[in-house]
Amino acid sequence: MIETLQFVYAPQIINGLSIGVAVILMALGLTIIFGLLDVINMSHGEFYAAGAFLGLTLIAIGIPFWVCIVLVPAVLFPLGVITEKFLIQKVFNSKDRHILTLLLTFGIAIVLEDLFKIIWGANPSKLDSPIQGAVDLLGVMFPKYRLFLMIFGAVIIFGVWLLIYKTPVGAIIRASAHDRNMAASLGIPVTWVHALTFGFGVSLAGLAGILLAPIYSVFPTMGKDFILMAFSVVIVGGLGSIKGAVVAGLLLTQLQSISSLFISPVWSDPLVFGVMIIVLMFKPSGLYGGLKNG
Amino acid sequence: MKRRALLLTALISTLFVTGASAQTEPVKVGVVTPLSGVYAGIGQQVRWGLELATREINAAGGINGRRVELIFEDEEANPAVATQKAEKLFQVNRVDFLTGTVSSGSTLAVGQVAERNNRLMATTVSFADSITGDRCSPNVFRVNARAGMQSAALAAWMVKERPNADVFFLGPDYEMGRSTVAAFKAAATARGAKAVGEVFAPLDNKDYSPYFGQIRAAKPSVIYTSVAGNDTVRFFNQMAEYGVNKNVVLVGASGTVTSQNLAAIGKAAEGFVTGAGYSPKLDNPQNRKFVADFQAAYKTLPDLYGADSYGLMYFLKTAAEKAKSVETDKLRVAMRDHEWMTPQGTKRMRAGDHQAMQEMYAVRIEKGDFNIIGRVTPADAIGPDACTRF
Repeated sequence: MIETLQFVYAPQIINGLSIGVAVILMALGLTIIFGLLDVINMSHGEFYAAGAFLGLTLIAIGIPFWVCIVLVPAVLFPLGVITEKFLIQKVFNSKDRHILTLLLTFGIAIVLEDLFKIIWGANPSKLDSPIQGAVDLLGVMFPKYRLFLMIFGAVIIFGVWLLIYKTPVGAIIRASAHDRNMAASLGIPVTWVHALTFGFGVSLAGLAGILLAPIYSVFPTMGKDFILMAFSVVIVGGLGSIKGAVVAGLLLTQLQSISSLFISPVWSDPLVFGVMIIVLMFKPSGLYGGLKNG
Repeated sequence: MKRRALLLTALISTLFVTGASAQTEPVKVGVVTPLSGVYAGIGQQVRWGLELATREINAAGGINGRRVELIFEDEEANPAVATQKAEKLFQVNRVDFLTGTVSSGSTLAVGQVAERNNRLMATTVSFADSITGDRCSPNVFRVNARAGMQSAALAAWMVKERPNADVFFLGPDYEMGRSTVAAFKAAATARGAKAVGEVFAPLDNKDYSPYFGQIRAAKPSVIYTSVAGNDTVRFFNQMAEYGVNKNVVLVGASGTVTSQNLAAIGKAAEGFVTGAGYSPKLDNPQNRKFVADFQAAYKTLPDLYGADSYGLMYFLKTAAEKAKSVETDKLRVAMRDHEWMTPQGTKRMRAGDHQAMQEMYAVRIEKGDFNIIGRVTPADAIGPDACTRF
């Protein structure tokens, strides 16, 4: 009994945890952008891919991985700001905002994906893991890099939570999400808050891209990989909720991980979407409230 | 007067008939192959192989003194498009022979079009056993090795290297994955190996680590996989990450590791063994010349698709010269039990199911090269004739 727990369930749970952290990193940017701007960013996955490709190129010219972890989000931040300022803002005040921003970000996704193909080619590339080897974790061999990823990911998630809920900057973001007009009349430059927050969400996606590249490899369509799962996490957790993204992210990935012991892995996606449908039936706003609800 | 008119008509009609089948009319070969889409890379090799052989044949006087002409149509790796393009080649271009199809679905569909038009075709790429098995056609030939022959070559090598191997199977969860695993499992267990577990992961799977517990628990000495493309990159690298591939022999389908994904797999591909019908490393005069000419013309190495497409043109040439015609019925008789030279040496077309017999190879990846480490004779690799239609 103890043995099954140790050799069958424990590795499954730990593996699920490392995938969970990856999914939460993706969902985090998505949910912040939605919570504040009310924009569903369909190009989030492609910004994630952009982070991975950028990292690949920077490392190829000799910049160490650890520097890239800082450099990649820093480069993607202005890219996100520009995207929001010059594209999304143009259609933001239209009556059909939801449809228009959905189409716009979807279009950005298509353009970016083709750009990756033109610049880096269609064949997959690999980023060597900066931390080699494995450690013994509760009697289970676990790669050191994934362990680092779990700890580092948790730190980032906690940091983002602190930023949004415990700092003046976070208060401004939450105030803008709560009531745009009121915030503007109090002197908050709301359009800039939108642009900078979008940039922040994009740089989080880029960070996820470079962090996950050593595990999942780099190729033009990689943006589609986690996006469906990340969307499910955001919907189940509650659009705009950071706590919700964490809880739903862990819940859904553990569900996939443990269930793959008993049923064919092909059923893991239907299982996740089944949970999503049930949550939407009984709690249409998701498990937790949005960004504005604190 | 009347007799003279009759004679004249006879003379004119003879002239007309010989004129129509004049020796100057080229032998037209239609090529329905994916020049765009997911299989464009394979279609490119097919095209290069066919064009190289055609140039050589034309330079040496053509087929029965007739020049050979290739007519290409893009099938976009879509069986529905392939049948339309094949119909067009038969009806409008009046081609004498058809080839080029890549996906097994396209080959089966185009085979029916060839039957309706009473013309012959051959595939140089498709693996599915059914093409020369239960869905065989008197109008369809296959010059390349089918999936079963690849499995046989790999299994024969494996039982010699690892007698009584405990094999774990991991395949992508769709037709190709399931059929390759089933074929190799049958070939391996028939030779004394034991199956200790199997898992089918979704196509485009992100993370294989959830299956590693299962694999470890099964304690395999050999892991067989038929994942392909980027799935291989992830599966192999994640196995290396977790050390699952330690003290285990990794074997798999011939499409699992290719020159396209080898660079991204890197070190984790080292030592992987597969069964294949060709390697540019084959050391015989035909292949040495073929590889040199191919590289000179296209600045890249040929793969199995290029080699088998090249070989096909010589199959057509020598059979048509034996039949002294490219007329369907005569050509079919000539092609049956026909032996001809290819980059893989002599191949023989089995009359019973139109499947070419050839030596098969176990190929191991060593420092980025595909080296031949084992050989299986044509008779041992081909397996029973499962075609009952002719």
